[in-house]
Amino acid sequence: MARRKFATLKSFLDYIGVEGDRTIFTWVSASEGERFANVIKGVTAKVMALGPATKLVKQL
Amino acid sequence: MENIDKKLREEAKRLLEEKRVDTLIGYETGTLPLTATPCFITNPEDAEKLVWNAFCTQNLAKYVHDLISQHRESQKRVKPEDRKKKVVAVVARGCTTRSLVLHLQERQYNREDVVIIGVPCTGYVDRKALTAAIDGEDIQDGSLAGDQLVIKTPTGEKKVALAKVLSGNCLTCKFNNPVICDVMIGEKAPAMAGAEQEYAEVEDFEKLTTEERWAYFTKEMAKCIRCYACRQACPSCYCPTCFVEQSQPQWVGLGEDQTDTQVFQLMRLFHMVGRCVDCGSCISVCPMGVDLRKFLKKLDKDVLELFESRAGSSMEDLPPLSSFKEHDKEDFIFNP
Repeated sequence: MARRKFATLKSFLDYIGVEGDRTIFTWVSASEGERFANVIKGVTAKVMALGPATKLVKQL
Repeated sequence: MENIDKKLREEAKRLLEEKRVDTLIGYETGTLPLTATPCFITNPEDAEKLVWNAFCTQNLAKYVHDLISQHRESQKRVKPEDRKKKVVAVVARGCTTRSLVLHLQERQYNREDVVIIGVPCTGYVDRKALTAAIDGEDIQDGSLAGDQLVIKTPTGEKKVALAKVLSGNCLTCKFNNPVICDVMIGEKAPAMAGAEQEYAEVEDFEKLTTEERWAYFTKEMAKCIRCYACRQACPSCYCPTCFVEQSQPQWVGLGEDQTDTQVFQLMRLFHMVGRCVDCGSCISVCPMGVDLRKFLKKLDKDVLELFESRAGSSMEDLPPLSSFKEHDKEDFIFNP
C-alpha cells in the first residue's frame, strides 16, 4: 500500500511541476548500513544536481 | 425528459407513501432561470417538485452521507431500544452512484440505508460556460428546446447549442448510467461522444515541460480564495474534521500565503487518489473557476493505469490505496 501511495504521489508531484527527482522512495532495512549510506549519497547527488527547492516552500 | 420527470415523481411519491424511505433527495427547479437545486422531500405531496434535466449539477451523494451521519450522531443519545432507522432515497445519475459505491466500499453506511433511484444522464450544463457563451449577459429566462438552449437576455434572444455548454467532465464521461440502483427511471442513456478521449487533456498537459506545468499550477492556484466550496461540495470529502481546520498539528497555514494555498489544494487533490468520480461538483461550485479537473483527472488516469481500478466503478473492488497486487509497478523505487 505504501508502494501504491508513493507511486501516485511521485507521479502527481511531477505532474504539477515539482521535479520527479525530488520525490525519492526506497526500502532500507535497519540492518543494511552500507546500502543506507549509498541511498543517501544517491539522494544528495540527485538533489545537488537540481539545486535548492523553491516550489511549495514557504518564505517566512 | 417530461416523461422521466413524471415517472420520477410517481416513484418518489410511492416510496414516501409506503414509508420505505424517510427522506428523499432530488432536484427541484432553482430560483434562477435554467438552474436546478437540491431538495429534500419528506412529504409525499412534495414529490411533485422533483425534476430531472440538464441543469441538475450537484452530486447528491454528499447529502446522503451528511444525512445518514447526522442521523447516526443524533441517535447516540437515544436509548438503544428507542433508536430509529433512517432510510434515505436519492435521485442518482452515473457519477452519483459511483460516489455511493465509494461510500459503501469505505463503510460509511450500509446498503439498506439508501434507496437509489437511477436516472440516465446526458451531461449537465456548465453555468460558467453558459455565461461565457452569451458574453456574460444576464439570463432573464430560458428554456431547452431539443438540443438548443433558448435564452432571453436584456439585449434579445440568444440560442446556444447544448453540446457547446456541457460541463467538461460530462463530455468525456463513461459512466452516464447508474452503476448500481434499486429502481431505474427511463431508458439507459447513449454513450457520450467524447468518452474515448477521456484523458486527452491530461496527456497534452503531460507533454509540457516541468516549468510550464509548474507555471500553470501556480497560475491556477493563485485564483483560489480558500473558500473551501470544493471541499464542501465534494462527496469524497467527508472527514468530520478536515486537515485544514486542525491545529494540532497545523498541517497547512491559514492566511493568504501562496504556498499555503498551493499546499491546501495539493493535499485535497491528493486525498482524491482513486476516490474522485469526476462528477465536476467541485468545479461547478468554484467561484474563481480554478481548473481542478486538469489535476484530478491525472490522479484518475494514474490509478487506472497503475492499479487498474476506478473509483466507485464496481461494488466488488477494494479501494485501490488500501489493497495491493504483488506485481504493482515499482520502477519508481530508488535503487542506487
